[in-house]
Amino acid sequence: MSDQFDKNLRDHLRHEAEEIREFPRPLRGRIREGITPRARLRMAPQLALAGALVLVAFAVLIARNPQVVLNDVRSTITQLIQPSPSPTPQPFTCSDRSGGTTGLLAQLTGIRTAHHSEAPGFDRIVFDFNGGIPSYDLTRQVSSTFVKDASGQPVTLDGGAGIKLVFRDASVQGVADDQKLNLAAVREIAQLGNFERVLSYGIGLSSSSCVRVLELTGPSRLVVDVTTGTSASASPAPTPLPTIPSATDLTPFACQDLAGGSNNGPAMRLTAVRVAHQAAGYDRIVFEFAAPSGVTPYVPAYTVSRQASTKFVKDPSGQDVTLRGSSGLRIVMHGASGADSYTGSRDITPGLPVLQEVEQLGDFEAVLSWGAGLSRPSCIRTLELSNPTRLVIDVQTP
Amino acid sequence: MLMDPALGRVIERWRAGDRDAFEEVVDRYGLQLLRTARVILRDQALAEDAIQETFIKAWQRIGSLRDEDPGPWLTRIAMNESISSYRRRHRFQALTERFGRLGGGKPEVSSEQRLDLAHALDQITAEQRAAVALHYYQDLSVEDAAKALKVPVDTLKSRLKTALRRLRDLTGSEEIPA
Repeated sequence: MSDQFDKNLRDHLRHEAEEIREFPRPLRGRIREGITPRARLRMAPQLALAGALVLVAFAVLIARNPQVVLNDVRSTITQLIQPSPSPTPQPFTCSDRSGGTTGLLAQLTGIRTAHHSEAPGFDRIVFDFNGGIPSYDLTRQVSSTFVKDASGQPVTLDGGAGIKLVFRDASVQGVADDQKLNLAAVREIAQLGNFERVLSYGIGLSSSSCVRVLELTGPSRLVVDVTTGTSASASPAPTPLPTIPSATDLTPFACQDLAGGSNNGPAMRLTAVRVAHQAAGYDRIVFEFAAPSGVTPYVPAYTVSRQASTKFVKDPSGQDVTLRGSSGLRIVMHGASGADSYTGSRDITPGLPVLQEVEQLGDFEAVLSWGAGLSRPSCIRTLELSNPTRLVIDVQTP
Repeated sequence: MLMDPALGRVIERWRAGDRDAFEEVVDRYGLQLLRTARVILRDQALAEDAIQETFIKAWQRIGSLRDEDPGPWLTRIAMNESISSYRRRHRFQALTERFGRLGGGKPEVSSEQRLDLAHALDQITAEQRAAVALHYYQDLSVEDAAKALKVPVDTLKSRLKTALRRLRDLTGSEEIPA
Protein backbone atom coordinates (compact mmCIF):
# COMPACT_ATOMS: atom_id res chain seq x y z
CA MET A 1 0.00 0.00 0.00
CA SER A 2 2.98 2.31 0.09
CA ASP A 3 4.29 2.10 -3.43
CA GLN A 4 4.62 4.85 -6.01
CA PHE A 5 1.03 4.36 -7.11
CA ASP A 6 -0.24 5.20 -3.62
CA LYS A 7 1.86 8.34 -3.60
CA ASN A 8 0.60 9.35 -7.03
CA LEU A 9 -2.96 8.75 -5.89
CA ARG A 10 -2.51 10.89 -2.80
CA ASP A 11 -0.88 13.66 -4.82
CA HIS A 12 -3.60 13.51 -7.42
CA LEU A 13 -6.41 13.64 -4.86
CA ARG A 14 -4.81 16.56 -3.09
CA HIS A 15 -4.30 18.40 -6.36
CA GLU A 16 -7.85 17.68 -7.47
CA ALA A 17 -9.34 18.73 -4.14
CA GLU A 18 -7.32 21.92 -3.93
CA GLU A 19 -8.76 23.14 -7.19
CA ILE A 20 -11.39 24.48 -4.82
CA ARG A 21 -9.41 27.34 -3.35
CA GLU A 22 -11.94 28.53 -0.79
CA PHE A 23 -15.39 27.85 0.51
CA PRO A 24 -17.74 29.54 -1.98
CA ARG A 25 -19.55 32.56 -0.62
CA PRO A 26 -22.83 31.75 -2.42
CA LEU A 27 -22.80 28.34 -0.76
CA ARG A 28 -22.31 29.98 2.61
CA GLY A 29 -25.34 32.16 1.82
CA ARG A 30 -27.42 29.15 0.81
CA ILE A 31 -26.60 27.41 4.07
CA ARG A 32 -27.45 30.53 6.03
CA GLU A 33 -30.74 30.77 4.17
CA GLY A 34 -31.41 27.10 4.82
CA ILE A 35 -31.24 27.49 8.58
CA THR A 36 -33.41 30.61 8.63
CA PRO A 37 -37.05 29.53 8.73
CA ARG A 38 -38.25 33.11 8.50
CA ALA A 39 -36.58 33.53 5.13
CA ARG A 40 -38.32 30.51 3.69
CA LEU A 41 -41.71 31.72 4.80
CA ARG A 42 -41.19 35.29 3.80
CA MET A 43 -43.25 35.14 0.61
CA ALA A 44 -46.16 33.35 2.24
CA PRO A 45 -48.13 36.45 3.33
CA GLN A 46 -47.76 38.09 -0.08
CA LEU A 47 -48.84 34.93 -1.87
CA ALA A 48 -51.81 34.54 0.44
CA LEU A 49 -52.81 38.15 -0.20
CA ALA A 50 -52.52 37.73 -3.96
CA GLY A 51 -54.63 34.56 -3.83
CA ALA A 52 -57.26 36.26 -1.74
CA LEU A 53 -57.46 39.18 -4.16
CA VAL A 54 -57.94 36.81 -7.10
CA LEU A 55 -60.78 35.10 -5.27
CA VAL A 56 -62.38 38.45 -4.52
CA ALA A 57 -62.13 39.43 -8.18
CA PHE A 58 -63.88 36.25 -9.29
CA ALA A 59 -66.62 36.69 -6.74
CA VAL A 60 -67.19 40.20 -7.98
CA LEU A 61 -67.27 38.95 -11.57
CA ILE A 62 -70.20 36.73 -10.74
CA ALA A 63 -72.13 39.29 -8.71
CA ARG A 64 -71.78 42.48 -10.75
CA ASN A 65 -71.94 43.77 -14.31
CA PRO A 66 -68.79 43.98 -16.46
CA GLN A 67 -68.23 47.71 -15.91
CA VAL A 68 -68.22 47.25 -12.19
CA VAL A 69 -65.90 44.28 -12.61
CA LEU A 70 -63.50 46.41 -14.66
CA ASN A 71 -63.48 49.06 -11.96
CA ASP A 72 -62.89 46.49 -9.27
CA VAL A 73 -60.04 44.88 -11.19
CA ARG A 74 -58.48 48.31 -11.71
CA SER A 75 -58.85 48.98 -8.04
CA THR A 76 -57.30 45.62 -7.16
CA ILE A 77 -54.32 46.20 -9.44
CA THR A 78 -53.86 49.67 -8.00
CA GLN A 79 -53.77 48.20 -4.55
CA LEU A 80 -51.21 45.62 -5.64
CA ILE A 81 -48.78 48.11 -7.13
CA GLN A 82 -49.15 50.75 -4.44
CA PRO A 83 -46.34 51.11 -2.01
CA SER A 84 -46.87 48.94 0.99
CA PRO A 85 -48.51 50.95 3.76
CA SER A 86 -46.67 52.38 6.68
CA PRO A 87 -45.39 49.52 8.70
CA THR A 88 -47.33 48.23 11.62
CA PRO A 89 -45.40 49.22 14.71
CA GLN A 90 -43.26 46.34 15.90
CA PRO A 91 -41.16 46.08 19.03
CA PHE A 92 -37.53 47.04 18.91
CA THR A 93 -35.19 44.17 19.64
CA CYS A 94 -31.62 44.20 20.82
CA SER A 95 -30.43 41.39 18.58
CA ASP A 96 -28.88 40.84 15.19
CA ARG A 97 -31.16 40.36 12.22
CA SER A 98 -31.09 38.63 8.83
CA GLY A 99 -33.50 38.51 5.94
CA GLY A 100 -34.03 39.45 2.32
CA THR A 101 -34.18 37.05 -0.58
CA THR A 102 -31.22 34.86 -1.46
CA GLY A 103 -30.21 34.74 -5.09
CA LEU A 104 -31.86 38.03 -5.94
CA LEU A 105 -29.75 40.49 -7.88
CA ALA A 106 -30.57 43.92 -6.52
CA GLN A 107 -29.18 47.41 -6.86
CA LEU A 108 -29.06 49.89 -4.01
CA THR A 109 -30.26 53.22 -5.34
CA GLY A 110 -30.53 55.38 -2.25
CA ILE A 111 -30.04 55.71 1.47
CA ARG A 112 -32.38 58.09 3.27
CA THR A 113 -32.45 59.02 6.92
CA ALA A 114 -34.83 60.90 9.22
CA HIS A 115 -35.65 61.24 12.88
CA HIS A 116 -39.10 60.19 14.10
CA SER A 117 -40.20 61.67 17.37
CA GLU A 118 -43.10 59.37 18.19
CA ALA A 119 -42.44 57.21 21.21
CA PRO A 120 -40.01 55.71 21.91
CA GLY A 121 -38.25 57.97 19.41
CA PHE A 122 -36.12 56.54 16.67
CA ASP A 123 -33.95 57.39 13.72
CA ARG A 124 -34.97 55.74 10.48
CA ILE A 125 -32.60 54.62 7.74
CA VAL A 126 -34.18 53.56 4.45
CA PHE A 127 -32.22 51.56 1.89
CA ASP A 128 -33.95 51.80 -1.51
CA PHE A 129 -33.44 48.93 -3.95
CA ASN A 130 -34.24 48.12 -7.53
CA GLY A 131 -35.16 44.49 -8.01
CA GLY A 132 -36.18 43.53 -4.48
CA ILE A 133 -34.45 43.32 -1.15
CA PRO A 134 -31.35 41.15 -1.34
CA SER A 135 -30.24 38.76 1.35
CA TYR A 136 -28.80 40.74 4.25
CA ASP A 137 -27.29 40.41 7.71
CA LEU A 138 -27.51 43.17 10.29
CA THR A 139 -25.02 42.88 13.13
CA ARG A 140 -24.83 45.17 16.16
CA GLN A 141 -21.52 45.96 17.78
CA VAL A 142 -20.26 47.90 20.74
CA SER A 143 -17.77 50.03 18.86
CA SER A 144 -17.98 52.21 15.78
CA THR A 145 -14.82 50.69 14.33
CA PHE A 146 -15.29 48.45 11.32
CA VAL A 147 -13.03 46.52 9.00
CA LYS A 148 -13.18 47.51 5.35
CA ASP A 149 -13.83 44.62 3.01
CA ALA A 150 -11.05 43.58 0.68
CA SER A 151 -8.46 45.94 2.15
CA GLY A 152 -8.93 44.77 5.73
CA GLN A 153 -8.19 48.28 6.94
CA PRO A 154 -9.99 49.47 10.07
CA VAL A 155 -12.24 52.51 9.80
CA THR A 156 -13.81 54.31 12.73
CA LEU A 157 -17.09 56.15 12.17
CA ASP A 158 -18.61 58.89 14.30
CA GLY A 159 -20.22 57.62 17.46
CA GLY A 160 -19.57 55.08 20.13
CA ALA A 161 -21.36 52.00 18.81
CA GLY A 162 -22.25 50.57 15.47
CA ILE A 163 -24.26 48.40 13.17
CA LYS A 164 -22.84 46.49 10.24
CA LEU A 165 -25.16 45.73 7.38
CA VAL A 166 -24.08 43.28 4.68
CA PHE A 167 -26.06 42.75 1.47
CA ARG A 168 -25.30 39.79 -0.77
CA ASP A 169 -25.78 39.76 -4.54
CA ALA A 170 -26.11 43.53 -4.49
CA SER A 171 -24.57 46.44 -6.33
CA VAL A 172 -24.86 50.17 -5.75
CA GLN A 173 -25.28 53.20 -7.95
CA GLY A 174 -25.60 56.87 -7.16
CA VAL A 175 -25.24 56.53 -3.40
CA ALA A 176 -22.69 58.53 -1.45
CA ASP A 177 -19.95 56.38 0.07
CA ASP A 178 -20.04 58.29 3.33
CA GLN A 179 -22.81 60.31 4.92
CA LYS A 180 -22.18 62.30 8.09
CA LEU A 181 -25.43 62.84 9.93
CA ASN A 182 -26.51 64.76 12.94
CA LEU A 183 -29.37 62.63 14.15
CA ALA A 184 -29.92 61.61 17.74
CA ALA A 185 -28.71 58.05 17.22
CA VAL A 186 -27.33 57.69 13.70
CA ARG A 187 -24.12 59.67 13.23
CA GLU A 188 -22.54 58.30 10.09
CA ILE A 189 -23.21 55.76 7.35
CA ALA A 190 -20.23 54.62 5.31
CA GLN A 191 -19.70 51.97 2.70
CA LEU A 192 -17.29 49.32 3.97
CA GLY A 193 -17.07 47.23 0.87
CA ASN A 194 -18.41 46.54 -2.59
CA PHE A 195 -16.65 43.39 -3.59
CA GLU A 196 -17.83 40.34 -5.51
CA ARG A 197 -21.44 41.48 -5.21
CA VAL A 198 -21.20 41.72 -1.44
CA LEU A 199 -22.09 45.25 -0.42
CA SER A 200 -21.52 46.29 3.17
CA TYR A 201 -22.18 49.42 5.21
CA GLY A 202 -21.16 50.53 8.64
CA ILE A 203 -23.47 52.72 10.68
CA GLY A 204 -21.98 54.76 13.47
CA LEU A 205 -24.35 55.24 16.40
CA SER A 206 -24.10 57.68 19.29
CA SER A 207 -24.52 54.75 21.67
CA SER A 208 -25.61 51.13 21.71
CA SER A 209 -29.22 51.02 20.51
CA CYS A 210 -31.91 48.49 19.76
CA VAL A 211 -33.31 48.16 16.26
CA ARG A 212 -36.23 46.99 14.25
CA VAL A 213 -36.06 46.04 10.59
CA LEU A 214 -38.89 46.25 8.08
CA GLU A 215 -38.93 44.90 4.53
CA LEU A 216 -41.29 46.94 2.36
CA THR A 217 -42.33 46.73 -1.27
CA GLY A 218 -43.32 49.10 -4.09
CA PRO A 219 -40.59 50.31 -4.24
CA SER A 220 -38.44 47.73 -2.50
CA ARG A 221 -36.87 49.16 0.60
CA LEU A 222 -35.27 47.93 3.76
CA VAL A 223 -36.04 50.09 6.75
CA VAL A 224 -33.80 50.09 9.80
CA ASP A 225 -35.15 51.94 12.82
CA VAL A 226 -32.71 52.72 15.61
CA THR A 227 -34.05 53.75 19.00
CA THR A 228 -33.13 57.11 20.42
CA GLY A 229 -35.32 56.85 23.54
CA THR A 230 -34.30 55.66 26.96
CA SER A 231 -35.84 52.23 26.46
CA ALA A 232 -32.82 51.13 24.52
CA SER A 233 -30.45 51.67 27.36
CA ALA A 234 -32.39 49.24 29.50
CA SER A 235 -32.03 46.55 26.92
CA PRO A 236 -29.26 44.00 26.95
CA ALA A 237 -26.04 45.13 25.36
CA PRO A 238 -24.99 43.52 22.12
CA THR A 239 -22.43 40.79 22.14
CA PRO A 240 -19.02 42.43 22.52
CA LEU A 241 -17.00 42.33 19.36
CA PRO A 242 -13.32 42.92 19.02
CA THR A 243 -11.96 46.37 18.67
CA ILE A 244 -9.45 47.02 15.95
CA PRO A 245 -7.15 49.71 17.27
CA SER A 246 -4.48 51.46 15.32
CA ALA A 247 -0.85 51.15 16.29
CA THR A 248 -0.94 54.30 18.33
CA ASP A 249 -4.22 53.55 20.05
CA LEU A 250 -3.49 50.88 22.62
CA THR A 251 -6.70 49.46 23.96
CA PRO A 252 -7.10 48.29 27.54
CA PHE A 253 -6.34 44.70 28.37
CA ALA A 254 -9.40 42.46 28.39
CA CYS A 255 -9.84 39.29 30.39
CA GLN A 256 -11.82 37.59 27.65
CA ASP A 257 -11.38 35.89 24.31
CA LEU A 258 -10.68 38.21 21.40
CA ALA A 259 -11.23 38.00 17.67
CA GLY A 260 -10.67 40.14 14.64
CA GLY A 261 -8.95 40.34 11.29
CA SER A 262 -10.66 39.45 8.07
CA ASN A 263 -10.78 36.64 5.57
CA ASN A 264 -10.57 38.34 2.23
CA GLY A 265 -9.13 35.88 -0.17
CA PRO A 266 -5.86 34.08 -0.74
CA ALA A 267 -4.12 32.92 2.40
CA MET A 268 -1.58 35.24 3.96
CA ARG A 269 1.91 33.81 4.35
CA LEU A 270 3.39 33.72 7.83
CA THR A 271 6.95 34.99 7.68
CA ALA A 272 7.96 35.57 11.29
CA VAL A 273 6.98 34.94 14.89
CA ARG A 274 8.60 37.11 17.55
CA VAL A 275 8.20 37.29 21.30
CA ALA A 276 9.55 39.83 23.76
CA HIS A 277 8.85 41.43 27.13
CA GLN A 278 7.87 45.11 27.13
CA ALA A 279 8.73 47.27 30.11
CA ALA A 280 5.26 48.80 30.06
CA GLY A 281 3.99 45.62 31.63
CA TYR A 282 3.29 43.01 29.05
CA ASP A 283 4.79 40.17 27.01
CA ARG A 284 4.26 40.51 23.29
CA ILE A 285 3.78 37.92 20.54
CA VAL A 286 4.01 39.13 16.97
CA PHE A 287 2.88 37.16 13.92
CA GLU A 288 4.13 38.81 10.74
CA PHE A 289 2.59 38.11 7.34
CA ALA A 290 3.32 38.70 3.69
CA ALA A 291 0.74 38.62 0.93
CA PRO A 292 1.00 36.43 -2.15
CA SER A 293 1.95 38.31 -5.29
CA GLY A 294 -0.75 40.68 -6.47
CA VAL A 295 -2.79 40.44 -3.28
CA THR A 296 -3.38 43.29 -0.85
CA PRO A 297 -2.05 42.20 2.54
CA TYR A 298 -4.42 41.88 5.45
CA VAL A 299 -4.44 40.45 8.93
CA PRO A 300 -6.20 37.11 8.63
CA ALA A 301 -9.33 36.41 10.65
CA TYR A 302 -8.21 35.28 14.07
CA THR A 303 -9.45 34.20 17.47
CA VAL A 304 -7.44 34.29 20.65
CA SER A 305 -9.02 31.99 23.23
CA ARG A 306 -7.94 31.89 26.87
CA GLN A 307 -7.88 28.56 28.64
CA ALA A 308 -7.13 27.31 32.12
CA SER A 309 -4.49 24.79 31.12
CA THR A 310 -1.53 24.50 28.81
CA LYS A 311 -2.88 21.37 27.17
CA PHE A 312 -3.78 21.79 23.52
CA VAL A 313 -4.98 19.54 20.74
CA LYS A 314 -2.88 19.61 17.59
CA ASP A 315 -4.68 20.22 14.34
CA PRO A 316 -5.38 18.04 12.33
CA SER A 317 -3.72 15.08 14.06
CA GLY A 318 -5.80 15.41 17.21
CA GLN A 319 -2.73 14.68 19.35
CA ASP A 320 -2.45 16.31 22.76
CA VAL A 321 0.47 18.63 23.48
CA THR A 322 1.22 20.30 26.81
CA LEU A 323 3.20 23.54 26.85
CA ARG A 324 5.09 25.10 29.72
CA GLY A 325 3.16 27.11 32.30
CA SER A 326 -0.23 26.76 33.92
CA SER A 327 -2.68 28.46 31.59
CA GLY A 328 -2.80 29.11 27.90
CA LEU A 329 -3.89 30.97 24.84
CA ARG A 330 -4.99 29.35 21.62
CA ILE A 331 -4.51 31.53 18.57
CA VAL A 332 -6.31 30.40 15.42
CA MET A 333 -5.90 32.28 12.14
CA HIS A 334 -8.16 31.51 9.20
CA GLY A 335 -6.73 32.26 5.79
CA ALA A 336 -3.08 31.94 6.80
CA SER A 337 -0.30 29.44 6.41
CA GLY A 338 3.38 29.23 7.11
CA ALA A 339 3.97 25.94 5.35
CA ASP A 340 5.95 27.47 2.50
CA SER A 341 6.99 30.78 4.00
CA TYR A 342 7.91 30.39 7.66
CA THR A 343 11.36 29.07 8.40
CA GLY A 344 11.70 30.00 12.06
CA SER A 345 11.19 27.86 15.12
CA ARG A 346 7.78 26.33 15.60
CA ASP A 347 8.38 25.86 19.31
CA ILE A 348 9.71 28.95 21.07
CA THR A 349 10.51 28.88 24.79
CA PRO A 350 11.41 32.46 25.71
CA GLY A 351 10.88 32.18 29.48
CA LEU A 352 9.43 35.67 29.77
CA PRO A 353 7.63 36.85 32.94
CA VAL A 354 4.34 35.33 31.78
CA LEU A 355 4.94 33.94 28.31
CA GLN A 356 6.66 30.59 28.76
CA GLU A 357 6.27 28.83 25.43
CA VAL A 358 4.77 29.46 21.99
CA GLU A 359 4.25 26.48 19.70
CA GLN A 360 2.58 25.87 16.39
CA LEU A 361 -0.43 23.58 16.81
CA GLY A 362 -1.54 23.25 13.23
CA ASP A 363 -1.16 24.50 9.68
CA PHE A 364 -3.76 22.80 7.56
CA GLU A 365 -6.12 23.95 4.84
CA ALA A 366 -5.16 27.60 5.42
CA VAL A 367 -6.03 27.39 9.11
CA LEU A 368 -2.96 28.25 11.12
CA SER A 369 -3.02 27.73 14.88
CA TRP A 370 -0.53 28.38 17.62
CA GLY A 371 -0.66 27.83 21.36
CA ALA A 372 0.93 29.90 24.09
CA GLY A 373 1.78 28.61 27.56
CA LEU A 374 1.52 31.23 30.30
CA SER A 375 2.81 31.18 33.87
CA ARG A 376 -0.50 32.57 35.11
CA PRO A 377 -3.95 33.46 33.75
CA SER A 378 -3.55 36.86 32.14
CA CYS A 379 -5.57 39.48 30.35
CA ILE A 380 -4.77 40.20 26.74
CA ARG A 381 -5.18 42.68 23.93
CA THR A 382 -4.62 42.45 20.21
CA LEU A 383 -3.34 44.91 17.65
CA GLU A 384 -3.55 44.70 13.88
CA LEU A 385 -0.68 46.55 12.28
CA SER A 386 0.42 47.20 8.74
CA ASN A 387 3.69 47.73 6.87
CA PRO A 388 4.48 44.96 7.45
CA THR A 389 1.20 43.24 8.21
CA ARG A 390 1.26 41.96 11.78
CA LEU A 391 -1.02 40.50 14.38
CA VAL A 392 0.20 41.49 17.82
CA ILE A 393 -0.97 39.81 21.01
CA ASP A 394 0.00 41.46 24.26
CA VAL A 395 -0.20 39.41 27.46
CA GLN A 396 -0.40 41.46 30.62
CA THR A 397 2.32 40.84 33.20
CA PRO A 398 2.12 41.51 36.98
CA MET B 1 -11.48 12.76 19.60
CA LEU B 2 -10.88 15.37 22.29
CA MET B 3 -12.26 18.77 21.54
CA ASP B 4 -10.23 21.88 22.23
CA PRO B 5 -11.88 24.25 24.71
CA ALA B 6 -12.38 27.08 22.23
CA LEU B 7 -14.19 24.79 19.84
CA GLY B 8 -16.20 23.41 22.74
CA ARG B 9 -17.45 26.90 23.53
CA VAL B 10 -18.42 27.42 19.89
CA ILE B 11 -20.40 24.17 19.94
CA GLU B 12 -22.18 25.18 23.12
CA ARG B 13 -23.22 28.45 21.49
CA TRP B 14 -24.39 26.50 18.47
CA ARG B 15 -26.45 24.23 20.72
CA ALA B 16 -28.06 27.38 22.12
CA GLY B 17 -29.10 28.40 18.61
CA ASP B 18 -26.34 30.89 17.89
CA ARG B 19 -26.08 31.09 14.11
CA ASP B 20 -22.75 32.92 14.25
CA ALA B 21 -21.29 29.98 16.15
CA PHE B 22 -22.70 27.61 13.56
CA GLU B 23 -21.08 29.66 10.81
CA GLU B 24 -17.75 29.39 12.61
CA VAL B 25 -18.15 25.63 12.34
CA VAL B 26 -18.98 25.99 8.64
CA ASP B 27 -15.82 28.06 8.22
CA ARG B 28 -13.73 25.50 10.05
CA TYR B 29 -14.91 22.34 8.33
CA GLY B 30 -16.69 23.44 5.18
CA LEU B 31 -13.79 23.63 2.78
CA GLN B 32 -12.41 20.18 3.51
CA LEU B 33 -15.85 18.58 3.39
CA LEU B 34 -16.57 20.29 0.08
CA ARG B 35 -13.28 19.13 -1.38
CA THR B 36 -13.95 15.56 -0.26
CA ALA B 37 -17.46 15.64 -1.69
CA ARG B 38 -16.05 16.98 -4.96
CA VAL B 39 -13.68 14.02 -5.16
CA ILE B 40 -16.56 11.60 -4.62
CA LEU B 41 -19.18 13.25 -6.82
CA ARG B 42 -16.85 14.43 -9.61
CA ASP B 43 -18.99 17.54 -9.96
CA GLN B 44 -18.66 20.89 -8.20
CA ALA B 45 -22.36 21.79 -8.25
CA LEU B 46 -23.42 18.41 -6.88
CA ALA B 47 -20.75 18.64 -4.21
CA GLU B 48 -21.99 22.08 -3.14
CA ASP B 49 -25.56 20.78 -2.94
CA ALA B 50 -24.41 17.86 -0.80
CA ILE B 51 -22.49 20.11 1.57
CA GLN B 52 -25.37 22.58 1.78
CA GLU B 53 -27.63 19.71 2.82
CA THR B 54 -24.96 18.42 5.20
CA PHE B 55 -24.79 21.63 7.16
CA ILE B 56 -28.54 22.19 7.18
CA LYS B 57 -29.01 18.70 8.60
CA ALA B 58 -26.22 19.32 11.09
CA TRP B 59 -27.95 22.50 12.24
CA GLN B 60 -31.19 20.59 12.71
CA ARG B 61 -29.58 17.60 14.41
CA ILE B 62 -27.14 19.29 16.77
CA GLY B 63 -28.83 17.38 19.59
CA SER B 64 -27.35 14.15 18.28
CA LEU B 65 -23.77 15.46 18.53
CA ARG B 66 -22.19 14.14 21.68
CA ASP B 67 -19.43 15.93 23.54
CA GLU B 68 -16.88 15.31 20.83
CA ASP B 69 -15.12 17.01 17.96
CA PRO B 70 -17.82 17.64 15.37
CA GLY B 71 -15.45 16.84 12.49
CA PRO B 72 -16.10 13.08 12.26
CA TRP B 73 -19.82 13.64 12.85
CA LEU B 74 -20.00 16.17 10.01
CA THR B 75 -17.95 13.86 7.82
CA ARG B 76 -20.46 11.05 8.39
CA ILE B 77 -23.33 13.30 7.34
CA ALA B 78 -21.40 14.59 4.33
CA MET B 79 -20.47 11.09 3.16
CA ASN B 80 -24.08 9.97 3.45
CA GLU B 81 -25.28 13.00 1.50
CA SER B 82 -22.60 12.61 -1.16
CA ILE B 83 -23.23 8.94 -1.81
CA SER B 84 -27.02 9.43 -1.77
CA SER B 85 -26.66 12.28 -4.23
CA TYR B 86 -24.50 10.17 -6.53
CA ARG B 87 -26.97 7.29 -6.38
CA ARG B 88 -29.85 9.60 -7.29
CA ARG B 89 -27.95 10.92 -10.27
CA HIS B 90 -26.77 7.46 -11.21
CA ARG B 91 -30.33 6.11 -11.24
CA PHE B 92 -31.33 8.90 -13.57
CA GLN B 93 -28.39 8.22 -15.84
CA ALA B 94 -29.20 4.52 -16.01
CA LEU B 95 -32.77 5.34 -16.93
CA THR B 96 -31.84 7.79 -19.65
CA GLU B 97 -29.26 5.42 -21.09
CA ARG B 98 -31.82 2.65 -21.21
CA PHE B 99 -34.19 4.90 -23.17
CA GLY B 100 -31.85 5.92 -25.93
CA ARG B 101 -28.73 7.03 -24.11
CA LEU B 102 -29.98 10.54 -23.50
CA GLY B 103 -27.69 11.02 -20.56
CA GLY B 104 -23.95 11.36 -20.55
CA GLY B 105 -23.03 7.91 -19.35
CA LYS B 106 -19.55 6.75 -18.53
CA PRO B 107 -17.38 6.04 -21.54
CA GLU B 108 -16.54 2.43 -22.15
CA VAL B 109 -12.87 1.73 -21.61
CA SER B 110 -11.09 -0.94 -23.59
CA SER B 111 -8.18 -2.85 -22.13
CA GLU B 112 -5.86 -1.00 -24.49
CA GLN B 113 -6.83 2.38 -23.17
CA ARG B 114 -4.85 3.88 -20.38
CA LEU B 115 -6.58 6.59 -18.43
CA ASP B 116 -5.14 9.23 -16.22
CA LEU B 117 -6.10 9.07 -12.59
CA ALA B 118 -8.84 11.66 -12.89
CA HIS B 119 -10.66 9.65 -15.51
CA ALA B 120 -9.93 6.40 -13.73
CA LEU B 121 -11.56 7.79 -10.59
CA ASP B 122 -14.66 8.49 -12.68
CA GLN B 123 -14.91 4.77 -13.36
CA ILE B 124 -15.07 3.37 -9.83
CA THR B 125 -18.20 3.45 -7.67
CA ALA B 126 -19.11 6.32 -5.40
CA GLU B 127 -18.69 4.06 -2.37
CA GLN B 128 -15.18 3.16 -3.49
CA ARG B 129 -14.33 6.81 -4.17
CA ALA B 130 -15.58 7.73 -0.71
CA ALA B 131 -13.29 5.11 0.82
CA VAL B 132 -10.37 6.34 -1.30
CA ALA B 133 -11.08 10.01 -0.51
CA LEU B 134 -11.24 9.45 3.24
CA HIS B 135 -8.20 7.21 3.43
CA TYR B 136 -5.93 8.75 0.82
CA TYR B 137 -7.04 12.40 0.83
CA GLN B 138 -8.21 12.99 4.39
CA ASP B 139 -5.62 10.54 5.71
CA LEU B 140 -8.15 8.84 7.97
CA SER B 141 -7.23 5.43 9.30
CA VAL B 142 -9.14 2.47 7.92
CA GLU B 143 -11.07 2.30 11.19
CA ASP B 144 -12.03 5.99 11.14
CA ALA B 145 -12.95 5.86 7.46
CA ALA B 146 -15.17 2.85 8.18
CA LYS B 147 -16.89 4.77 10.97
CA ALA B 148 -17.44 7.76 8.71
CA LEU B 149 -19.06 5.55 6.12
CA LYS B 150 -20.88 3.47 8.72
CA VAL B 151 -19.57 0.18 7.35
CA PRO B 152 -17.55 -2.62 8.96
CA VAL B 153 -13.77 -2.30 8.78
CA ASP B 154 -13.53 -5.38 6.56
CA THR B 155 -15.97 -3.84 4.10
CA LEU B 156 -13.92 -0.69 4.00
CA LYS B 157 -10.74 -2.66 3.40
CA SER B 158 -12.44 -4.59 0.63
CA ARG B 159 -13.63 -1.38 -1.03
CA LEU B 160 -10.15 0.09 -0.89
CA LYS B 161 -8.59 -3.04 -2.29
CA THR B 162 -11.09 -3.28 -5.13
CA ALA B 163 -10.81 0.42 -5.89
CA LEU B 164 -7.04 0.34 -6.03
CA ARG B 165 -6.98 -2.74 -8.22
CA ARG B 166 -9.41 -1.07 -10.62
CA LEU B 167 -7.48 2.20 -10.63
CA ARG B 168 -4.24 0.35 -11.33
CA ASP B 169 -5.89 -1.55 -14.16
CA LEU B 170 -7.33 1.58 -15.69
CA THR B 171 -4.12 3.55 -15.49
CA GLY B 172 -1.85 0.68 -16.45
CA SER B 173 0.06 0.85 -13.19
CA GLU B 174 1.81 -2.33 -12.15
CA GLU B 175 1.50 -3.38 -8.55
CA ILE B 176 4.85 -3.75 -6.81
CA PRO B 177 4.96 -6.91 -4.69
CA ALA B 178 5.39 -6.25 -0.99
